[in-house]
Amino acid sequence: MIRKEAVEIITNSIGENPIISANGFMSRDLFEVNDKESNFYMIGSMGLASSIGLGIALKNPKKQVFIFDGDGNILMNLGSLVTIGSLKPKNLVHVVFDNNSHESTGGQPTNSSQINLEKIAKVVNYKIFVIQSKTKLLSVLKELKKLQGPIFLLVKISTSNERSKRVSWDPKTIRDRVMKSL
Amino acid sequence: MNEKIQRKIFHYLKKKKIENFVGVPDSTLKYFIDECLKNNNIIITTREEEAIGIATGMSLSKSNALVFMQNAGFANSISTITSLVELYEIPLIFLIGWRGYLPDDAPEHLKIGKIQPELLKIIGLKSQILTEKNWKAKCDWALKQIKEKKPCALVMRRMFHD
Repeated sequence: MIRKEAVEIITNSIGENPIISANGFMSRDLFEVNDKESNFYMIGSMGLASSIGLGIALKNPKKQVFIFDGDGNILMNLGSLVTIGSLKPKNLVHVVFDNNSHESTGGQPTNSSQINLEKIAKVVNYKIFVIQSKTKLLSVLKELKKLQGPIFLLVKISTSNERSKRVSWDPKTIRDRVMKSL
Repeated sequence: MNEKIQRKIFHYLKKKKIENFVGVPDSTLKYFIDECLKNNNIIITTREEEAIGIATGMSLSKSNALVFMQNAGFANSISTITSLVELYEIPLIFLIGWRGYLPDDAPEHLKIGKIQPELLKIIGLKSQILTEKNWKAKCDWALKQIKEKKPCALVMRRMFHD
């Protein structure tokens, strides 16, 4: 499964819930597959999708808040897992699309293949799911509404040469759209 | 800045609808942070950038946030401030404890402390220095900035050694 396919499956299942998506190809795929007001496309500030998502989750307890992260992104802000795991927001779903690489900068390796990200998430109080196939992804998504977070979905994806277009909204419009949707 | 005023600043800002206090502790801001803790209105993060991210999420949810940090942490966060807070115009108040203000502060603070005002200026983040006399007016200034959707910084100088 490539990232774009996984993004499509997830966004088809979660409706209008907010998504905070990491910079680089992550946001580009989300923009191309399912652009909507409640998507916060992070352009810079690599690593911070999980933190922005935490702030939104804490202030919107009635909405399930999704973080679309990459392995490179979360490795830059592992501390955010500790903060999320301490505050335990029930409505936070942290999806990490893991291709073991910094795909947006040319496919250089990350160290996510050398360690178990899900084990890190588990010891800091996340409920964890490791997803290798579309079938598994679909079945986990069905369960998701009934579960209390924080939830960690580690979605294993393969790298791809397919390139989505850049996010065309300017940052202030992204901000205003998200604010309106919350 | 004395203990009493630091504690007052917390309550003043809280009364003026700053609902969230997020950051990394700093000894210059010790009593302010202690007041956040006492009032159970604080998130202490692992790094300053993380705090800025969380505060951004809160601000997007229409809940005002202040981010506190030492100037060393501010220097760590410059790229986050330019590529998130300033780029998206997120109205956050930064409260920065300024080590290295005194020329005989501890050595690790001197170089970055010396350029603190210039760093603020170069990235275009408007700032004011808080004193025991002007704190209320400067807090009002910051509140006005965020009302106009502009991020800004309040700086507390380190005036003592320990």
